[in-house]
Amino acid sequence: MDLGLTEAQELLKTTAANFIQQEYPKETIIALESTPTGVTPELFRKVAELGWLGIIIPEVYGGEGRSCTDAAVLFEELGRGPVPGPYFSSGVLGALTVLHGGTEEQKHAILPQVASGERVLSLAVTEPHHGWRPETVQMRASLQGGAYTLNGTKLFVYDAQAATHLICAVRTSPSTNGSTSGITLLVVDAKAPGVTVRTLPGWMAQVDEVRFTNVRVATTAVLGSTEGQGWETLEAAALQAIPILCAYQVGSCQTVFDMAVAYSRTRVQFGQPIGRFQRVQDHIINIVNHLDAARWTTYEALWKLDTGRPAAASVHLAKAVTSEAYLKVCDSGHEVHAGVGVIREYGLTLHTQRSRTLYHLLGEPRYHRRRLADALGW
Amino acid sequence: MDFEVTYTPEQEAFRTEVRTWLATNIPEGLEQPVDPGDLSLEQYQKLRELGRRLGAKGWLYPTYPKAYGGGDLSVDFVMILEEELDRYGLHLPPYYDSGGRLGGASIFVWGTEEQKQQFLPPIFRGEWRTWQLLSEPNAGSDLAGVQTRAVRDGDSYIVNGQKIYVGSLHGCEMMWTIVVTDPDKPRHENLGWLMIPYGLPGIEVRPMELLTAGGEGGASPGLKHTIFFDNVRVPAFNLVGGENNGWRVATTHLELEHGGGGVVRRNRVVDQFLEYCITTKRNGETLSKDPDVRDDMVEAYIKSEIVRLFGLRTYWLSHAHKPRSYEGPQLSYCRKTYALEIAETILRAVGPYAMTNDPDWGPLNGLLEHYQRSAVVGLHPGGTTDIQKVIMARRIGIGRTTKEQAGRLR
Repeated sequence: MDLGLTEAQELLKTTAANFIQQEYPKETIIALESTPTGVTPELFRKVAELGWLGIIIPEVYGGEGRSCTDAAVLFEELGRGPVPGPYFSSGVLGALTVLHGGTEEQKHAILPQVASGERVLSLAVTEPHHGWRPETVQMRASLQGGAYTLNGTKLFVYDAQAATHLICAVRTSPSTNGSTSGITLLVVDAKAPGVTVRTLPGWMAQVDEVRFTNVRVATTAVLGSTEGQGWETLEAAALQAIPILCAYQVGSCQTVFDMAVAYSRTRVQFGQPIGRFQRVQDHIINIVNHLDAARWTTYEALWKLDTGRPAAASVHLAKAVTSEAYLKVCDSGHEVHAGVGVIREYGLTLHTQRSRTLYHLLGEPRYHRRRLADALGW
Repeated sequence: MDFEVTYTPEQEAFRTEVRTWLATNIPEGLEQPVDPGDLSLEQYQKLRELGRRLGAKGWLYPTYPKAYGGGDLSVDFVMILEEELDRYGLHLPPYYDSGGRLGGASIFVWGTEEQKQQFLPPIFRGEWRTWQLLSEPNAGSDLAGVQTRAVRDGDSYIVNGQKIYVGSLHGCEMMWTIVVTDPDKPRHENLGWLMIPYGLPGIEVRPMELLTAGGEGGASPGLKHTIFFDNVRVPAFNLVGGENNGWRVATTHLELEHGGGGVVRRNRVVDQFLEYCITTKRNGETLSKDPDVRDDMVEAYIKSEIVRLFGLRTYWLSHAHKPRSYEGPQLSYCRKTYALEIAETILRAVGPYAMTNDPDWGPLNGLLEHYQRSAVVGLHPGGTTDIQKVIMARRIGIGRTTKEQAGRLR
């Protein structure tokens, strides 16, 4: 038993922390927060050069071939920012989807480009009847003259504005409508005629609406050799991707905790640091309890994945605990900071926004609670 | 990271040895009642016999040096012992011995060599069962405000006062307590830490009527007592850690009481509650198929998993000798508050059946009924949840730049 990081992981953590400190000062993150892509070409290039877009991609496909836990160590540091941009969407979720669903040829064609940053992937799965469930995928792709025609809307697509390619979940056969299977994944050029990406306004960030109007897609765009395997691919990719997303949330919780502790020492009211008041202490203790619950459920799930143990229950547990914890940690952070906490330049709201924006990604806590019960065989 | 012990061939051989040993050395007819208050004298004596047998092998307190009756075993070997005992529903020590578990650590850290030689072997070999005496009628959360007096008289201390919430069913051999040794000194510098043999003249032990008896993180005691000291003469040799140093000695066992040692056991009540829901039918439908019950099951499961992981994390920090801070009291706080919430969840999911231990109607031989009570009682032993939060806040350094250190365990 050893619950510490390996030397290589400590090194990665330090490298990532130093890079973020240098390249992603708070002002930069605030400036990027509500931009459509959440990233600049220069920053994206620098991250790609560090190999981080290919961290989980096997070396044979041009990646670093590192473990889920390694990737999580990196994403925990990104979460501390919280660094926006399509790093998770492309380098983790997109890459894992291609890895689990693609043919050998597709993997060789796509994954090296994802690792180098030439291609940016985004998953377009959910629709106006939102839900992370196969039944909610209704968009049709009809086969006409040797190509598919896509019509419909994908809603709450993360990082579509930054993407060069959308991995789009569709129904290719009318008989499969409403069923849990029969979903096909198509790799669609984001610049193809008829694809319109629109940033959703409001508090969420880098989440988009994608409209498809008579978009023509070649049959070679089907991920994998056959139609109808899409949901199984998404499930397999999500199983590994979710705890890495959780690690990002853990990192963000850690920063909110650090901010709250620091503020409790320096903010003086009634003649003493506010951290001397037990009601303020309660908020911070609430934060650290949520933070640690998120951290240890997440890293246990990662350990199970990396050691080939059955991990489904642990992954659902981690996602349910972590997404909920993230929200509550930010809430308590605001209780501690009061007015200062909602001044945008202070930086706390970066985390609060992200805790809400990521709440539903790959399934909200309630969904994962139900899946947890299923996974435990109840 | 590795959340499990990866055992070496040497350790696997040890497991075989332990398994074989337990098969022949666990006394025959050993059974543990659902309510620890029902532990018979005969069953208690069987557990003590097992304790002495384990102690003779150095397996009762296995991490301590052999020179003092321990086993010189590292954490991975101890995990094997715990895992193998767990197959019988037992753990180390196999009966309530919080005085030994906690006090042994204090003596080990703070005692003179002579005191260690005299006190530790009987504890670690299972010859003594030890009670800790801390709370008084007017000193609970404010433990440093105890009033029991110990006045030096030649080679003895004369002890007068009263302690409450003490001990367990079927007595003990040794007790220890904190007493005021110098009432004129400031708080925390006025206390002594004293070993007191159970049978000394002037000691009166009176059972308390409680909802149920909660343990201090160890095996459940079954019964608690009020203890009166009326001019009890105790050898001065028994003062551990020196004059007026009792509070520092106490930081060691308080660290353990506050969860600092961690725990690697699952919440068996939750496991059995889940199993009950999966296997019990109401109106022809399995309980676990009811969506509301299913939500309750998930809620209880998630909380028990978080506590399990906090226990594992703290166990690792403590046994791998890593720096510790707020983790122990965090484990204690979450274990206690979640237990109470889980009890409510169980009551909601199972219904009024959870409130009876009737042989006909009470589920799981009354286990759930007992949990309804023990979750309430369990809030206070080893420090209230509010006290755990106070300690966490000091160690995190909320509102202060100097962080309080965790208590010494070595």
